[in-house]
Amino acid sequence: MITLSNIEKVYQTKSIETVALQHVNLSVPKGEFLSIMGPSGCGKSTLLNIMGLLDVPSQGMVEIDGQPITTYKDKELAHIRNEKIGFVFQSYHLVHDLSVLDNVELPLLYRSGVSASERTKLAKAALEKVGLSARTKHFPGQLSGGQRQRVAIARALIGQPQIILADEPTGNLDSVMGEEIMNILLDLNRLDGTTIVMVTHDENMAQKTERLVRFFDGQQVSDAKVFANNLQQV
Amino acid sequence: MIRHLFKLIWNRKKSNFLLIAEIFFCFLVLFGVLSLVTYNVRNYTKPLGFEHEDVWLVTMRPNSDSTAQNRQQLEQVLSRVRAFPEVGHAALTSSNAPFSFSQMNNSLSYGEVKDVMTDNYDVQDAYDKVMRLNITEGRWFNPQDNASHHSPIVINKMLKEKLFGQEEAVGKLIPKNDTTNYVVVGVTDYFRASSEFAAEDPALFNRINMDKSPDYFWNELLVRVKPGTGVAFEERMVKQLASIGKDWTIEVSTLEKMRQNKAKLTLAPMIALGLVCGFLILNVALGLFGVLWHNISRRNGEIGLRRALGAASKQIYWQFIGEVLVLATFGLLLGAFFAVQFPLLQVFQVESEVYFIALLSSIGIIYLLTAVCAFYPSRQAAGIHPAMALHEE
Ligand SMILES: Nc1ncnc2c1ncn2[C@@H]1O[C@H](COP(=O)(O)OP(=O)(O)OP(=O)(O)O)[C@@H](O)[C@H]1O
Ligand SMILES: [Mg+2]
Repeated sequence: MITLSNIEKVYQTKSIETVALQHVNLSVPKGEFLSIMGPSGCGKSTLLNIMGLLDVPSQGMVEIDGQPITTYKDKELAHIRNEKIGFVFQSYHLVHDLSVLDNVELPLLYRSGVSASERTKLAKAALEKVGLSARTKHFPGQLSGGQRQRVAIARALIGQPQIILADEPTGNLDSVMGEEIMNILLDLNRLDGTTIVMVTHDENMAQKTERLVRFFDGQQVSDAKVFANNLQQV
Repeated sequence: MIRHLFKLIWNRKKSNFLLIAEIFFCFLVLFGVLSLVTYNVRNYTKPLGFEHEDVWLVTMRPNSDSTAQNRQQLEQVLSRVRAFPEVGHAALTSSNAPFSFSQMNNSLSYGEVKDVMTDNYDVQDAYDKVMRLNITEGRWFNPQDNASHHSPIVINKMLKEKLFGQEEAVGKLIPKNDTTNYVVVGVTDYFRASSEFAAEDPALFNRINMDKSPDYFWNELLVRVKPGTGVAFEERMVKQLASIGKDWTIEVSTLEKMRQNKAKLTLAPMIALGLVCGFLILNVALGLFGVLWHNISRRNGEIGLRRALGAASKQIYWQFIGEVLVLATFGLLLGAFFAVQFPLLQVFQVESEVYFIALLSSIGIIYLLTAVCAFYPSRQAAGIHPAMALHEE
């Protein structure tokens, strides 16, 4: 689904040059739930941004669905993001002045040929999936952290993307709410076959996924299948 | 997308309130100034109904109380002026000569039509040749009017329509007082004498019959001189007239000079208002620009998010331009609601068309202004790097 070949990312500021990623070769097959761990500042978010076509690598190649995406223009990249990728962030990134329903509808606003009534219908269905049907008219400020993240997940899945990229989705939540979010993601992966790449600091969460890649200082240091007790066999 | 923008602005109405209020007030001021400008410009483009070039106004003020002597001298002055080869025509007039600062009016009633206010001009028979009036119905005054039992008058088309509608005016009798009537002998197309920027009013010309008022002294004499006649002749004429009316004060002015004075009276406040309005608009524009700039840097996270969800850089640009236009729409809707009260309630005696022209141009200018203010901040927003914007939040 996603293939990264020899990725390097260097941030160039006036005085310093930060190497955020180096020699990254990573392939995420379709339907996999991959988790990424590593200390703060090791380049996890940078990696996710490159996978999500929000940033370009300084070197190397990104392929999505077998298509190398080096020559795409801004408009085409936006189109691929809209069609194929859903994002979930640690800080939710909801638009405060839009209701829950309007927030969830956002991705469809950038997709042509979806009518307003269809958008509303799909948004309600997405909210149903994350168990928030009763909160459609609320504003983000009126929700708990866990509820906000569920709205963000509903927004990520409304466009039925093949890939969901989640950057510390449970990072701001207590363990109970984190658990809830994790279960929603697991369901999405198992039931809908959505490919998920999740950055996490939580070893327990990582253990629930199929595969765990560890990073250190911009480099991949380990890559292993997970055999957690709830996942007997792969 | 437009619905989405309206929703966004509506949900943010509290924080956008000041901006909307600013646009609203800016619109009202602009509407007021443009109404005034439109009114003046529209009047300016309408015909005056006379030609003022090469017409001089001679003002005569006797200093003695001897009516008989003054009157006799006035008649001498008249024939002296008419004898100059440089003079085409000359006619005595009441003190409300074109572009002067005095006005005479009274009200007329005819049948069902009551109390029509009209300007009155007392003029001699040569007045139509001095001012080159255009008679469209009937005729101008002539000596055969001496025999009339009624007071002959010539009226402008406007007065005719007010009194008689579409009916023929010539021959109609209008009560002057309890004993006498006016009789309409002719109609001029236009007569708009007070200022180039003033609207036309109903007008009525009264015939001066010197024989019937042997004691009366007219102070003003309108003289049409041959083209190219200048100051040298003016001096010569004044000297000769002074030798007839020895104790008189005599002044000569050209209608052109009087026209300019009258025009200044309208133009000066209009220019001042225009400057104030321009300054206000500049201030509003700078304020708007600042607020938009600030808003966009505050909304970095949202911009990054929208990019992540599939918005191209161009779409971000148009979203921000669109938001500002929607914001302007709210201010304009509110403003237009107040603005349309002027024509609806007929607050001033001004044609509705003036207001609608001013309304449409104000709306156009405000939209343009807000779009221009939004241009640079929106471009900045469109250029924000999505990964960076998401990172910052
Ligand atoms: N826009 C940027 N400009 C310069 N340096 C950057 C920029 N973004 C990230 N970096 C640097 O790149 C490195 C990797 O950052 P990144 O955000 O990917 O880390 P991370 O693994 O996600 O950390 P955390 O777990 O704290 O989120 C860091 O050293 C960071 O300082
Ligand atoms: Mg990070």
